[in-house]
Amino acid sequence: MSQHSVIGERIPKLDAREKATGRCKYAGDMRMEGMLYGKIVRCWEYAHAEVVKIDFSEARKVPGVVKCLGPKDVTKKNYNTTIMKLLVPAAFSDVFGEIADLNIFNGRVKHQGDSVCGIIARTEKAAERAAEKVKIEYKPLPVIMTAEESKKKGAIQFTPLKPGNLAANFPEAFFPNGEYGWNSPEGKTVHQKFKDADLVVEDTFYVPRQKQVQMENHSYVAEYDDRGRLTCWTSTQMPKLVQNLISELFELPLTRVRVIQSPIGGAFGCRLGMIGEPHVCAMAMAVPGVPVKIEYLREEDWVASESRASGHFHVKAGFKKDGTPVACYGDYQVLKGGYYTHGSGPPFCTAAFMHGMYKWQAMGCKADIWFNNMAPFGAYRGYGNPENTFGVEQLIDRACNQLKIDPIEWRKKWAKGIGDETWLKGVTYASTGLDDCIKQAKQKIGWDKKKKDYAKQTGVKRRGLGIGIMQHTSGAWPMLLEHSNVIMRMNEDATVEIMASVSDLGTGAHTAITQIAAEALGFPLEDVHIKCCDSDVNGFDIGAHASRTIYCVGRAVMQTADILKKELLDRAARLLQIKPEDLAFEADKEIVCTWDSSKRINIRTIADQSIYSFDDPATGKTIGIPGQIVAHYSDFVKHCSPPFAAACAEVEVDIETGEVKVLAFSNAHDIGKAIHPPSVEGQLEGGAHQGLGYVLSEDIYYDKNGLCLNSDFTDYKMFGASDMPPESHVTLVESAPDPVAPYGAKSCGESALMGPIGSVANAIYDAIGIQMTEAPITPERVLAAIKKNGGVKK
Amino acid sequence: MKKKSITLYINGEEHNVVVDVSDTLNHVIRNQLNRTDLKHCCGRGECGACTVLVDDDRYPTGRKAINSCMVLAAMMDGKRIQTVAGLEKNGKLHPVQEAFIEKGAIQCGFCSTGMIMKSVDILENNPKAKEAEIRQGLEGNICRCTGYTKIVQAVQQAGEVMAAKK
Repeated sequence: MSQHSVIGERIPKLDAREKATGRCKYAGDMRMEGMLYGKIVRCWEYAHAEVVKIDFSEARKVPGVVKCLGPKDVTKKNYNTTIMKLLVPAAFSDVFGEIADLNIFNGRVKHQGDSVCGIIARTEKAAERAAEKVKIEYKPLPVIMTAEESKKKGAIQFTPLKPGNLAANFPEAFFPNGEYGWNSPEGKTVHQKFKDADLVVEDTFYVPRQKQVQMENHSYVAEYDDRGRLTCWTSTQMPKLVQNLISELFELPLTRVRVIQSPIGGAFGCRLGMIGEPHVCAMAMAVPGVPVKIEYLREEDWVASESRASGHFHVKAGFKKDGTPVACYGDYQVLKGGYYTHGSGPPFCTAAFMHGMYKWQAMGCKADIWFNNMAPFGAYRGYGNPENTFGVEQLIDRACNQLKIDPIEWRKKWAKGIGDETWLKGVTYASTGLDDCIKQAKQKIGWDKKKKDYAKQTGVKRRGLGIGIMQHTSGAWPMLLEHSNVIMRMNEDATVEIMASVSDLGTGAHTAITQIAAEALGFPLEDVHIKCCDSDVNGFDIGAHASRTIYCVGRAVMQTADILKKELLDRAARLLQIKPEDLAFEADKEIVCTWDSSKRINIRTIADQSIYSFDDPATGKTIGIPGQIVAHYSDFVKHCSPPFAAACAEVEVDIETGEVKVLAFSNAHDIGKAIHPPSVEGQLEGGAHQGLGYVLSEDIYYDKNGLCLNSDFTDYKMFGASDMPPESHVTLVESAPDPVAPYGAKSCGESALMGPIGSVANAIYDAIGIQMTEAPITPERVLAAIKKNGGVKK
Repeated sequence: MKKKSITLYINGEEHNVVVDVSDTLNHVIRNQLNRTDLKHCCGRGECGACTVLVDDDRYPTGRKAINSCMVLAAMMDGKRIQTVAGLEKNGKLHPVQEAFIEKGAIQCGFCSTGMIMKSVDILENNPKAKEAEIRQGLEGNICRCTGYTKIVQAVQQAGEVMAAKK
């Protein structure tokens, strides 16, 4: 139908030019007349303390200070940063045990960096100086860092709402025995099923508290105007949901809350919910009619926003002699941090992604999530899947080693496929490109030859190869509500305004969605414009997470385009007096009769006449069909098309220094259809950077008093430009387009983190014969492991 | 707070400003001169997002890339400074900017302006810089989105254009 084939094209991103010139204005770049500056005063000295007294007297003397705000000066309503309760039925939320345990200014500090009070001043400098001069008297409380300390009888309780400091687990009401999983076909539990295994391997894995480290510091602007409307500019990932949360927190109807999504300088999950929005809005309401800006300092990011879940994840896997997977069990002891936020969300997904990967006959996972005095974990790209991958992928290689089975062949045989259940029960795979992914990843790294070359090694440098495979999700259904709204409005010149709440985190979503809209309508790219980022204009949407934007919003765009096109056909049919089924769209916006091409009308005519409706002076009859063409679709996606991926890594371990170098890395992703190939590649390349960091270098370190040791770029170790593997391959596998996905496109936003984790861990195992059960696999840990084992085991 | 009257030449434009002696160049350019093409990130010289080019005839190209958050504005009196906005000439972007756009080297964009300035510096010194040299040159610029792959490809492409022009 369409002659304007724009999907799959390597066009420049729509926002690339303004970002290359610096003209893109992030929230921190916003300047408004009379703007004031807000500073959140945080507790830096203690990870756990009662706030006894706040004395603003010295702070007030600083020139330029406008207001000092303590807990009494803002709403005392409790809140939770997340949107989880909005996206599950109320009954579920209650059963899962979500609590609202945060205040804008907290009377008890539960982690270093917790917010205590605030300053509003005429300049940033004045706000900073005044913040330093606030005298806060604290009563230190015992610091709890580990799960053991948290669950101990008599330990200080974080909140009366969660006795024993158990912030969350998988509730019995939904999960018998508090476990997510299923029994074997013959009715045996996972624990019984282990008895049927010839080989059981198990270990406890430590997974790190990785930080998103988006480059844009959290920055916000808010204004409470003369109409009593509260506007908040924020680079949140979910503007509509944050609008809801602000509305609830400040008890304003939605018509009086406007969220404008400013350009997002990276997110990776750390903007999934509210962070500084409550504070900036409270400050704006304290100075009505004047905009207030808050810009976090970089060092606030590590301690005052959420990170990945960390803790000790015990995994046990049972196999038959021939490799048949029999049972898999996980017991996760997770460190929540000081506040509930995402509760059991990520650990639940760890269990779910374990469920979705291999054909275990029985499976079970339980999780205990303990409060402690760290910044809370929240959402981070992969949402529990990295934690799953680090343990399971290594246990599989351990078993394959003992059973003398090739780890790649094992995965090909026992990974799930079409018709098998995905990460969530009751949802099955409709497509899989995993075999192609494995083939491509393996071939591009030169697996076979290198394996032979490294079969026997001596010397200080040992090389190894490893594979890691994964599946993730496309969209949040059925775990969460899936709902996107798209409105398409045809302008008088037959161009189309697409109103949809599409969050582009740097991912290229605005570009790809625009491509989908143009393709679906059959119009050139310049004839569609996407209007997003404004809650006044956009209908409901659950935001950018769960790798859903292309898969779900793209689909909603296509549905809406179909409605618009149907209206055009109906109008053409009436005007030409031909049945709609005898009409077809052709090039240059022509609608043509299929059996007589002289009978035709141009969409431009229909659009013009829809607006400029005049009566023919000669006949008195209305010319054309009046009424602006507006199509709307409210899409509740009820399917999921998980993408697969396979990654291979080649490492070199220096057995004297413990250093691990990644020499080569190859990732093949089951994308189905790449709508905007450079953006898909970008997600895979960037995801590799974060995955490599997870497995080799990144963690947030605290001292025994709960004070962060590495809250800066120097000491939080991420891979730099020279650290990335010198040989790197990214393959987009399009051989298995998904039948229900938009143009076959599955997701890619989160997936690329997992491949490096499994493949690098397994490559290290291949190189030195020892499995590293704590991530990140630092040189210190490698040396300690070699020493403990009395040398390398190969 | 002690103040000083200084003159800064930003992208060829003269600015006479009175600054606090403790103000960084980054702060003055962004907040006093209201030029937000220059970004602010760590404020401690760790991330490179605030990279600018400063004329300095001690260097082979006549200028040097610096983190604008790490110098005091008061010490830059009389200096000629280029921010990313100065790369564009009569609506035509610099080859580095064009390559970043074409190669898909920009995702969230927050590191991009600093990355572009540093890349300009690398290529002005050696438009035929090899991949390893480019990567080494960019070690002081942190990107969390791209994994550096397309950034390096863009710099290589821009280098070819610049070498051809020479």
